[in-house]
Amino acid sequence: MSAAPPPVAAQDALHEEDALGKAYDSRLLRRLWRYVAPYRVQVWWTLGLVAPVFLLELAPAWIVRIGIDRVIAPAIGESGPIGGARPGVFATPPSFLSGLAEAPSWVPPLVWLGALYLVMMIGSAALQFVQSWVMAKTGQLAMRDLRSDVFRHLSTLHIGYFDRTPVGRIVTRATNDVENVAEMFTAGIVALVTDVIKMVGFAVALFVVDARLALVTFSVVPFLTGIAIVFRLRIRDAFRAVRVRIARINATLQETVTGMKVVQLFNREERNLRDFAELNAAHRDAWIVSIRYDAALFAAVETAQNLTVALVIWWGTGIASVGVLYVFIDWMRRFFMPLRDLSAKYSVMQSSMASCERIFQLLDTEPRVKDPVVAPEVGHRFSGQGAIALENVWFAYQREDFVLRDVSFRIEPGERVALVGATGAGKTSVIKLLNRFYDPDRGRVLLDGVDLREMPQQELRRRVALVQQDVFLFSGTVAENIGLGRPDIDAAAIERAARAVAADEFIAKLPQGYATPLHERGANLSGGQRQLLSFARALAHGADVLVLDEATSAIDTETEASIQRALRVLWEGRTALVIAHRLSTIQDVDRIHVLHHGRIVESGRHEDLLAQRGLYHRLYRLQYERQAEASAVSDARRGARV
Amino acid sequence: MSAATAPSAPVVRPGLRRLVGYLSRHRLAYGFWAILTLGYVASFVTIPILIGRALGAAEQGLPASEIALRCGFIVAVTLFAAALRYYSRTLVFNLARDIEYELRNDLFSHLQRLPQSFYLRWRTGDLMSRCVNDLASVRLLLGPGVLNLLQTPILYLAVFVAMFVLDPKLALFVVLPYPAFLWIARAFGRAMYRTNLRLQEGLADLSNRLQESVAGVAVVKAYAMERANQERFEVANRDLYERQIAVVRVMAALQPVLTLLPAVAMGIVFVVGGREVIDRRMSIADFFTFSMYVYGLTFYTFLMGWVVTLVQRGAASMQRLDDVLCTEPSIADRPDAARLGGLRGEIEFRHLDFRYPGSDREPSLRDLSVRIPAGSTLGVVGPIGSGKSTLASVVPRLYEVPDGTVFLDGVDVNRIPLATLRRNIAMVPQESFLFSMSLAENVAYGLAEPDPERIHAAAERAQLARDVADLPYGWDTLVGERGVMLSGGQRQRTALARALALDPRILILDDALSSVDAETESRIRSGLREVFAERTVILISHRISTVRDTDQIIVLDGGRIVERGRHDELVAAGGLYARLASQQALEEEIESEEAVA
Repeated sequence: MSAAPPPVAAQDALHEEDALGKAYDSRLLRRLWRYVAPYRVQVWWTLGLVAPVFLLELAPAWIVRIGIDRVIAPAIGESGPIGGARPGVFATPPSFLSGLAEAPSWVPPLVWLGALYLVMMIGSAALQFVQSWVMAKTGQLAMRDLRSDVFRHLSTLHIGYFDRTPVGRIVTRATNDVENVAEMFTAGIVALVTDVIKMVGFAVALFVVDARLALVTFSVVPFLTGIAIVFRLRIRDAFRAVRVRIARINATLQETVTGMKVVQLFNREERNLRDFAELNAAHRDAWIVSIRYDAALFAAVETAQNLTVALVIWWGTGIASVGVLYVFIDWMRRFFMPLRDLSAKYSVMQSSMASCERIFQLLDTEPRVKDPVVAPEVGHRFSGQGAIALENVWFAYQREDFVLRDVSFRIEPGERVALVGATGAGKTSVIKLLNRFYDPDRGRVLLDGVDLREMPQQELRRRVALVQQDVFLFSGTVAENIGLGRPDIDAAAIERAARAVAADEFIAKLPQGYATPLHERGANLSGGQRQLLSFARALAHGADVLVLDEATSAIDTETEASIQRALRVLWEGRTALVIAHRLSTIQDVDRIHVLHHGRIVESGRHEDLLAQRGLYHRLYRLQYERQAEASAVSDARRGARV
Repeated sequence: MSAATAPSAPVVRPGLRRLVGYLSRHRLAYGFWAILTLGYVASFVTIPILIGRALGAAEQGLPASEIALRCGFIVAVTLFAAALRYYSRTLVFNLARDIEYELRNDLFSHLQRLPQSFYLRWRTGDLMSRCVNDLASVRLLLGPGVLNLLQTPILYLAVFVAMFVLDPKLALFVVLPYPAFLWIARAFGRAMYRTNLRLQEGLADLSNRLQESVAGVAVVKAYAMERANQERFEVANRDLYERQIAVVRVMAALQPVLTLLPAVAMGIVFVVGGREVIDRRMSIADFFTFSMYVYGLTFYTFLMGWVVTLVQRGAASMQRLDDVLCTEPSIADRPDAARLGGLRGEIEFRHLDFRYPGSDREPSLRDLSVRIPAGSTLGVVGPIGSGKSTLASVVPRLYEVPDGTVFLDGVDVNRIPLATLRRNIAMVPQESFLFSMSLAENVAYGLAEPDPERIHAAAERAQLARDVADLPYGWDTLVGERGVMLSGGQRQRTALARALALDPRILILDDALSSVDAETESRIRSGLREVFAERTVILISHRISTVRDTDQIIVLDGGRIVERGRHDELVAAGGLYARLASQQALEEEIESEEAVA
């Protein structure tokens, strides 16, 4: 529309903010460790098991070796190096376990060794189970705590955070991201550490058995390492591209599902699908790159395994016995095994780390609204009748873009004050400050003489009840939605509150009355019914200060009349601040403040303000004229038709 | 909405049948992949034989050149196998991504076709979890799952045949433990399916709880619900942990149990094969070949274990996707759809009874009949819950209506193609939802081509134009969930502009200006007067003043039309409308009296 290039993409901070993830980040790991630390005993257990597991993995091939070299080969007269010893090169391999391999006289030696082999394998399997079970369980315990922390932290963040952050993103942090981090315990870093220990172990063992043969076979390792390094660099970028694109896909999906009514009303299905398919294709294409590298690595490892076999036989002739060749082939395969799914592990690690970073980013989001460091004793210090004061308050959602400018007013206990003004005049912002959803940039907000910033939020919110324009119902029963989980509000109190706002009539008509379950967003109640419930909610929580934010605007006249009656009862003895579009509803308040572009331009009682013939008078005249004009137009139309 | 019943019998057939449909679309590529796989299997079986032959040469004391040559064969076949391995793996994984792509597009397209009644029943968190987590599981089933499901059995078979050729007696013994795999796979598969399904449900439950707390954060804070909320979350969290642990236990046991199969086989080779070598019925080289075979299968046995979990999880997930995909869009074009040219815009309701699908409440609309001549305006008033919004929603068929109840230009709306119908109707719903796009794109949302002139005209009429200058990037400002915050009134005016930009025959305003202040509303209404003049309009409001100059007014109460007529007639009739009017008039009077005073 404008001459400047569309900055929409630049404004969309969603994907830039998302961490892309290194596969290894010691800073993140150290921090993650804090969640694991309470369960560190289990971690020591798993690490302690690495050595026995490894030894049990070495043993079977060695037993086969003993069987071949000591039982089978001598029986057919082929002991010693295969193909006859090359002079001066045959060294007797070490003879671990040979004692154990001595069969008792009543068992044939091969059967004895076979049994021994099986025992080792079963032992190894059992230990492996214990190891992975304990590790995975530790991971899940840590993740449970992490999820709790995420949730707890979320409840400390100020409303502005939730205004800016898509719901889906927050949900993803506590579910998918935490799941990803858990993967690190089952497949990621732990597997990696274990693999590295084992690979070193196998290498050492091979050198001990026959250093020269080991040297030859390990000649393929540098070549493979080179491939792995190249691969690591390339695949990192591929995985990053994938992650960015899947994030975009899921954000689009979420938004479409949420706004489906508009999508369908505006016939956007086809165009949306086209755009979505484009995102989807970009994601698929990003994968194709990483698939190529993964397949290449897989093939390379397999090649290396078979190449070493060829090398072992070629070089081993005349140097080593058949049994030793067997040991080499077996151990070398096990040595290479971890490299095979390196790409899978790399991907797990990278996505775990990225998730980890995103979670910590969330946990690092400073609550902009904080409780006082030294929280004063809850209770008597704050008791008062509910006097409210705003002193020279300046407030902006975005830096210097002030929506409130130097606003000051007082509300004495039991007084009823109304804020009026056009849309965007700053009325709602006053309420947000009063509930401390935000803190003012300058000036202060006081409740009974105490700066809200020096009061625990729990205490503030216990004393100030809010009825908002946007009614939100939680899934739960009608009664639960009124009581909101506060233990001291019993069924009787809930019903009393509902009666007072005339909500009991429609509640009684619901299939299970107060026990009727409500759906997300209260889809099974009408707008007005939801509003009535929120009134009952505010009533039940009985606070000193009542704040009504445009609450009466969506209620029809008949209901509004009963609400007005209920309100009169309700704000008896309470301090009340009201925001309403309709001037008629605020005529009997004690004082009216007129907000204009964030400033209070007029204050006083209804009659005085009218007499001033200022902005209030204009707002008032406007509504009056609207009524007159409307009837005039309809008269004119009728006249024209006749 | 997730299946809460105990998953005793894993019913995954419909889901898998659908998946086979996707696979068969790529049957040529899969056929080619099968050929590559056969080639790979052939080389896989050949290598141990070559190893045996090389070893045999050494054993018989053949010259070093012969040994080197035979080792060279191993290398050659190895390289050949590697090439096949690379291509077949790339091919099958790319195919998996292709199908994932198709499946995701189909899901998206299907979701767009499902009616609002579907979205009343299904929670967003649940749907998202299916589209994200379950789709990922299905992709794993398609990639490594399909790869190994086809390749591994062939591999086993080929290896067993080779062993039989080499030494039938020993082969018979070696094969013995493998059938146990089927039993293990079945037992674990079931456990895996059961535990995973429960895990998915737990995840969905937790997501929902979280989603709700975030969406309702203002209430949570205003009523200091944090602690109660945390407790509720902890319950779900602990429950999820229990479900995770159940999965973990099964997973941790699988691989060790599977290790035992090749272990027993190897033990048999060792004991039985060793005896044969000693009895000189078998060469030491063949003994070696046998153990290479058993060894080669070890990795695939592990892999099969993993694949079983992938397949179970993937099948369960596919079923969960199928639950969505098999929901027939109950609102769709009929085969007998009417072909309409231009619409005049006459709307008629005939004895319409309407109840929200699956709702156990009273019908929302009862025996409702009204005719709105083309170009006229219908005002709808009534108390809360009287069915006003429902009435608005059934005209563009957001909800299912019975045949023969709602007509447009005398044609049953159920017979009008949805695209035609909705192109001619613009509706401003009560809740104004904006997308994460620029403001201009939001206003142009329903336009095939963004037309700056129309956008500006619509914005002007909706009194939105003035706000644009205040936005950081003007028309290009990103709004919606990821963009700048607009006030409730600005959102409603944007939604109004979005509807006006369509220049529709029929305009439905469902209490569309509730958040707009009086001053702006009066300007909007004077701007709308000419818009109304040339269109059929349904104007829903809780304010009498909004509807009093409409051509006819209906008053709804409990889903029925209790009164109808023009403003004056209704006032004269002295019913509900008159009561509402007198209450509102009373307020006006008070205001005007005081103004005079």
